[in-house]
Amino acid sequence: MLSIKSGLRTGLSKVILRTFATDAPAYEPNYKNFKVYRWSPDHPEEKPHMQDFNLDMNETGPMMLDALLKIKNEVDPTLTLRRSCREGICGSCAMNIDGRNTLACITKINKTDGKEVKIYPLPHMYVVRDLVPDLTLFYQQYKSIQPYLQTSKPPPEKENLQTIEDRKKLDGLYECILCACCSTSCPSYWWNQQEYLGPAVLMQAYRWMIDSRDDATEARKQMLQNSMSLYRCHTIMNCSRTCPKGLNPGRAVAAIKKSMAFE
Amino acid sequence: MLTRLGLSVRPALAPVLRSTIRPTSQIAYRSLFIKTIPQPPGNIIGTVNDAYATPPPKVFAGSRHWTFERLVTIGLTPLVVAPFITGTSSAPIDAVMSSLLLYHCFAGFENCIADYIPARVFGVWHSAALGLLFFGTVIAGYGIYVIETTNNEGLFGLFKKIWTKQKN
Repeated sequence: MLSIKSGLRTGLSKVILRTFATDAPAYEPNYKNFKVYRWSPDHPEEKPHMQDFNLDMNETGPMMLDALLKIKNEVDPTLTLRRSCREGICGSCAMNIDGRNTLACITKINKTDGKEVKIYPLPHMYVVRDLVPDLTLFYQQYKSIQPYLQTSKPPPEKENLQTIEDRKKLDGLYECILCACCSTSCPSYWWNQQEYLGPAVLMQAYRWMIDSRDDATEARKQMLQNSMSLYRCHTIMNCSRTCPKGLNPGRAVAAIKKSMAFE
Repeated sequence: MLTRLGLSVRPALAPVLRSTIRPTSQIAYRSLFIKTIPQPPGNIIGTVNDAYATPPPKVFAGSRHWTFERLVTIGLTPLVVAPFITGTSSAPIDAVMSSLLLYHCFAGFENCIADYIPARVFGVWHSAALGLLFFGTVIAGYGIYVIETTNNEGLFGLFKKIWTKQKN
């Protein structure tokens, strides 16, 4: 009796379901073409080239980094790139996307325009492999400005206090994540990166110059007192235009020049 | 390679090695016609742990040079604009204007040479370019002297002649 009842029930429900069932729409993939710069030191005989990857946008995350990781995970595991935080705070995935230096992890993919995306490593840097540039010189330059607090005063017992106004001077400077997007977008840095420090490093130099707790301002200025380190900046302003964090390195460089103008 | 990774050279030895040993693998020359100075691989001097060494401070190549350039440009603006408004100029004012303009051009080209013919890469050619610029500036300076002494309204008078309708 029980089995007849339950059989009847399932039969009924099947009839009802069948009545409401509609045909599933045919799956329409939304393909977008990604052209990615490829070069491997393992095959020095092969010139750098652009490789095409067609990705279905319905199955890709919203950001450029998602697309690159999808390529690496599902299409070509040899694709090499730096990435870490996927939220624009580590600066690892800095690269040139569609002609603009930016972070892949906070750049949205336009999924509807049907245009191809071109991805290069940071411009005018030595390439280690694929999208990985050699940033050694950049870090050497950062080290040269001594980016740490220097003071002759004895260390305070608790916090090293600043006034609210003094602290506000550091806003827009301390947020820099040293992704090198601005420096590598600067033509002056392209031509003379061995001697010109570049906007990112100069902005950090300024960040320490105006820190009310730091006493080495004079020494920091003396370091820039030559024709190459600072004064190769011709206010081209690519740095401020490209900064993925929305900072203004050009303004910081101008502020250094202004503070040194009558020395 | 080990040197670049900071594994084989002790920091105390690094400056000595830097000055005596040239890197073995060097990038190609920049130009086909001029022999340029080869640069170290990756533009890296010393090991990866060394900081970039800044040149000794030279205030006249740095901030004073920059300020002087700006002052000249600011001073030049009224001197260039004024004759166009008043329609006349006197030789002494015009001489000042011409001299400042000459320096303005000189400083501009000097910057171009520093940018595109850096001593680091081009060595003697950098000095040659600067020498040529000095030579050209001296010639132009003499030209200004001639114009100011022969023409009543100096350089502005010359411009006036070019744009005045010729009477036939």
